[in-house]
Amino acid sequence: MPRRPTRHQRLKSWPITFSPFGRALARMGSVYMPKCHSESIENHTPSSASNGFIKHPLDEKPDGSESSDGEFDGVVQADFAFFDPKPNDFHGVKTLLQTYLDVEEWDLSGFVDLILEQTTVGTVVKVEDDEDEGIFALVTALNLRRYREQKCIIQLKDHFLAKASQEKGVADQLRLLLGEQAHDVGLLVSQRVVNLPPQLLPPLYDSLFNEVSWATEDEPTEDLRNSFRFKHYVMLSKIYKHKHAEQNRKLGDDSVEAIVYAKPEDEIFHKLSSWSFYFPLRSEQPAPHEA
Amino acid sequence: MANRLQFENNCDIGVFSKLTNAYCMVAIGGSEGFYSEFESELSGVIPVVKTSIAGTRLVGRLCAGNKNGLLLPHTTTDQELQHLRNCLPDQVVVQRIEEKLSALGNCIACNDHVALTHTDLDRETEEIIADVLGVEVFRQTIAGNILVGSFCALSNRGGLVHPHTSIEDLDELSTLLQVPLVAGTVNRGSEVIAAGMIVNDWTAFCGLDTTATEFSVIESVFKLRDSQPSVIVDEMRKSLIDSYV
Repeated sequence: MPRRPTRHQRLKSWPITFSPFGRALARMGSVYMPKCHSESIENHTPSSASNGFIKHPLDEKPDGSESSDGEFDGVVQADFAFFDPKPNDFHGVKTLLQTYLDVEEWDLSGFVDLILEQTTVGTVVKVEDDEDEGIFALVTALNLRRYREQKCIIQLKDHFLAKASQEKGVADQLRLLLGEQAHDVGLLVSQRVVNLPPQLLPPLYDSLFNEVSWATEDEPTEDLRNSFRFKHYVMLSKIYKHKHAEQNRKLGDDSVEAIVYAKPEDEIFHKLSSWSFYFPLRSEQPAPHEA
Repeated sequence: MANRLQFENNCDIGVFSKLTNAYCMVAIGGSEGFYSEFESELSGVIPVVKTSIAGTRLVGRLCAGNKNGLLLPHTTTDQELQHLRNCLPDQVVVQRIEEKLSALGNCIACNDHVALTHTDLDRETEEIIADVLGVEVFRQTIAGNILVGSFCALSNRGGLVHPHTSIEDLDELSTLLQVPLVAGTVNRGSEVIAAGMIVNDWTAFCGLDTTATEFSVIESVFKLRDSQPSVIVDEMRKSLIDSYV
């Protein structure tokens, strides 16, 4: 199925999900001294307070030995598993989607609820048997017409149209796509933690597109079956764009890429897409103290 | 009355704001909508102060205070300290303390009469708390967590604590604090109560995700249903006048 517009933004920084896996990696790399330990807890909790998953770090005391120099030379073993979205995943998914529309205030909770209700199409990546149930990645496709009444989808469409209005010609095509052709259009949502092993990505996307084709056969009503017969996909993706790309090329510095994709698969999607447009992010850099 | 709001799509408003009976502090950099929610509810009754602490927006978690005073971490800058001293009412003592546990809001839970603190707090800090905030200080844990400031929200009329607090702990804490306590959650099952909501004697603010059940528990334990700010402030004013006589 041909994929339609890909939207790009200049990115400030990728949100770091404070997950047990991430904590395990950070612990491997930090220097342990009993006194400093409590200090580092205090500085972490303000930013991790938003996650609601505070497992008190003092429960996992170090083995009494100090690791040297903070060199990360350990490997963390983790078994990732793909699951259907469940209502319990609310907080994890919400954290992943926190910056989906940049700083705009919108019905994010409603959007997350929508994703979690659609169990037939959509995958959530978690660590097997993890008590914390931290979400590491999310991928799903939402039919824009099926959910057109939902406040979050209306806000999303308005946001896209507002961003597109700055580029000529694009706005009309976009309006068509989001309006009349909405029954054929799927919004592809894909977010994950930065350090997720890339080996997971091909099976993740394969499973998404498989689920979409199974849904066209397995859904109980005709309407629902048709809603998954996507002719176009729409994606919102974050990129870094080099400000002085042209200058660098003149200086013969070809190694510097003009566009850096936050997620590597977006480069492939961009190449294969029918059309795309860019718009800048409005958000400020967070102060250095905030994680 | 309790209200729901969010700070930049984040429902953890207790991280970005602090509410007491004498003042309210709000982080700068949020949308005007966030600030105006506080203004509409509190203006004319208590001052709403926009500030940062240590250059960050985490004002709710870095400082601890009540109507008598406000304690700031050693990382607070001189300008911020001066700004707070200027904006807060004169009877509120603003003090910056040297304490290695710098997230005071996570370590100290207090109302106008009693405070619960982190078990590893310095002796000197404990004395300063008793002195500046005018409270009795108890070193406690809540459901096994030493970050008492994070896992409970306290006012003079009630308190909400971590959902896994046992009945014995609830009774013990309730006796110490002399207020009714309830174990519950905020923001759709979040255990970090103090990050999800802020409360004083007549009003509370919760994150947008707070369910109707959580909301009604909050309104009932903090006795917010029929409270009016003027009643409380008048009581406070009468007692101030008494002291001059």
